[in-house]
Amino acid sequence: MKKRRFRWELYLIHIIIALIVLLPLAFALISSFRPLDEIFKFMSPVTWKTFIPVELTLEAYMSLFTERGFGRIIFNTFYVAFSNVIFGLLIGSMAAFAFATFRFAGKNILFLLVLVTFMIPPEVVAIPLYSLVDSLGWVDTYYGLIVPSIANGLVIFLYRQFFLDLPNALIESARMDGASWFRIYWSIIMPLSKPVTVSAALLIFIQQWESFMWPLIVTRSKEYRVIQVVLSDFTTEYATYWNEMFAAAIISVIIPVVILLPLQKFFVQGISSTGGKE
Amino acid sequence: MMTVKNKWVPYLFLLPAFAGLLLFKLYPIISALLQSMHTLEFLTQLVRFVGFENYVSLFNDPVFWNSLKVTLWFNLWINPFQITLAFGLALLLNTGIKQITFFRGINFIPVAVSVPTAAILWKIMLSPEQGVVNSILVALGMSPQPFLESSSQALASIVAIASWKGVGYWALFLLAGLQEVSPSLYEASSMDGASKWQQFKSVTYPMMKRPLTFVVVSVTVANMLLFAPMYILTKGGPNQSTNVLLLESYNSAFLYSDMGRATAIVVIMLVITAIIVAIEFRILRAKH
Repeated sequence: MKKRRFRWELYLIHIIIALIVLLPLAFALISSFRPLDEIFKFMSPVTWKTFIPVELTLEAYMSLFTERGFGRIIFNTFYVAFSNVIFGLLIGSMAAFAFATFRFAGKNILFLLVLVTFMIPPEVVAIPLYSLVDSLGWVDTYYGLIVPSIANGLVIFLYRQFFLDLPNALIESARMDGASWFRIYWSIIMPLSKPVTVSAALLIFIQQWESFMWPLIVTRSKEYRVIQVVLSDFTTEYATYWNEMFAAAIISVIIPVVILLPLQKFFVQGISSTGGKE
Repeated sequence: MMTVKNKWVPYLFLLPAFAGLLLFKLYPIISALLQSMHTLEFLTQLVRFVGFENYVSLFNDPVFWNSLKVTLWFNLWINPFQITLAFGLALLLNTGIKQITFFRGINFIPVAVSVPTAAILWKIMLSPEQGVVNSILVALGMSPQPFLESSSQALASIVAIASWKGVGYWALFLLAGLQEVSPSLYEASSMDGASKWQQFKSVTYPMMKRPLTFVVVSVTVANMLLFAPMYILTKGGPNQSTNVLLLESYNSAFLYSDMGRATAIVVIMLVITAIIVAIEFRILRAKH
C-alpha cells in the first residue's frame, strides 16, 4: 500500500504558489482600507509600512458609493447577470429536453450547431454583432446588455448530458397518466435537475460578472455601465485614486468568491463535464 | 432516456434557444463576412459593395502586419507557458498531501478574478515609479523595471498577468482528468518497475489526452482573442508592441468607424484561429 511520509518539498512548492496567487489580492485588500496619501507615502522605499497599514479607513469604499455611483453599477451588473441566469437556464433546459427526449428531423444538424456556437467565443462576434444590435435600437439599453447572451450552447450541452442519464420510466409513466410534454419537462424533469441547474447557473453568472468586451461596446452612458467596464474606465479617469481602484477591484472579486466558494463543487462539476467530453 | 418520435413538440422546445443562437451567435459571423466586403461612403453615408478591397488594403498595411505578428508572437509564448504551468499545477494539486483541499481552494480563487480586475491590480503594482513590485526590486538591490511602459517588456508583462489569472482555471480541467485515472494503473506499472517518468509517459499522458486536448484548444482560442489586458493596460502600445488583432479591429470599428476593416480583421482572425486549432487537433490525435 501507499506509504505516507511528510513531503516537505511538496508543501514548500504549494506554499510558494499560494503566495503568488494570494499576495496581490491581499495587498489590494489592505491597500483598499488605507487613506490615499498613505499608499503613496509608504510605497517606496519598502518598509513594513508598505504592507501594513498604519491607519485604516473606509474612505475608498464610501467614495465609490457616494461619488462614483457604485450602487447603480452593482445593481446593473447583478440585473444583467441574473436575467441571463434565469432566461438562460429556462431556454437552455427546454432545448436540451428536446434533444434528450425526442427523435425529430434535423436533430443531428441542430445539435452540431449547438456545439459550434459554444466553441465560438463571444469576443469574435462582439464587433459584427454591434451592427445588428444597433439596428435593433438596443445600444445603451438593458436589452443590448442582456438579450444577445441569453441563448448559450454550453448550457444546452450541460442539461442534455444530465437528461440523457435520467431513467425512461419517469417519462413513460407520466405519459401514461396523460401529462402534457411541457408538464413533464416542468414538473418532473426540472425538479430532478437541481445539481446541473446549480452548475449551469454558476457558469452563466461568472461569465456575465466577468464579461467585458460586449458591455464596453454596447453601452455609452454611465447609466448602463457594468462593473468590469467601470474598472477599465477608472484606469483612465481616476488613475491616481489608487485606494479606490483597489477597493473597486476587491468588490469585483469578493462577490463571485462569496458565491463560488461554498458551491465550488458544482462549478467544477460543470466545467469538468464539458472538458472531458468535448 | 429513451427517445420518442414526435413531429412538432421538439421544435417548440427548441425555438427560443435557437432563435437566440441563430440571431446572436451565428448570424454575426455571416454578417462579418458581408460587412467586410462593404464600405461606408463618408460623403453619402451609403454602404457600398467593394468586394475584397478591405482585405487588399489590409495586406498592404504595415499596421495590420504588425498586429498579426504581435498576435502570433504573443500566442507562441503564452499558450505553451500556460499549458505547461496548468499541467504542473494539476499534478501538484493531485498529490495526496493532507491539506490538499485547502491548496485547491486557494488555486481556485483566480477563477473569481476577472481579466479586467487582474489587469488593473497589476497595473497599479507594476507602475514604474511607485509600484510595489519596483519598490521590492529596489529593496532587493535590483534596478527598477519599466514593465508595461517599455515596448520590450509590455507583452511579456501581459503574458505574466494573464497567466496569473488563467493557469488556476485551466488546471481545474486537467485536475478533473487526473482524478479519473484509476490508481490501480499506477500500482500495476510500479509493480512492473516503471520509473516516475515512464509512468507519466505511459499512464498519465495517454489517459489525459482528452482533457489536455480540450485545454490546449480552449487556451489557444482564449489567447488568440485576448482583448481586455491590452485595452486596459497599454492600448496597444508602447510603439504598437501589444497591438493585437482584436484590439486593432476594435479600434477600426469604434475609433475610426471603419466597420469594413474591423470585420475583415475579425474574419482573418477566425480563419487563423481555426487553422491553428485544426493543427492542434491533428497533432494531439496523431501522437499515440
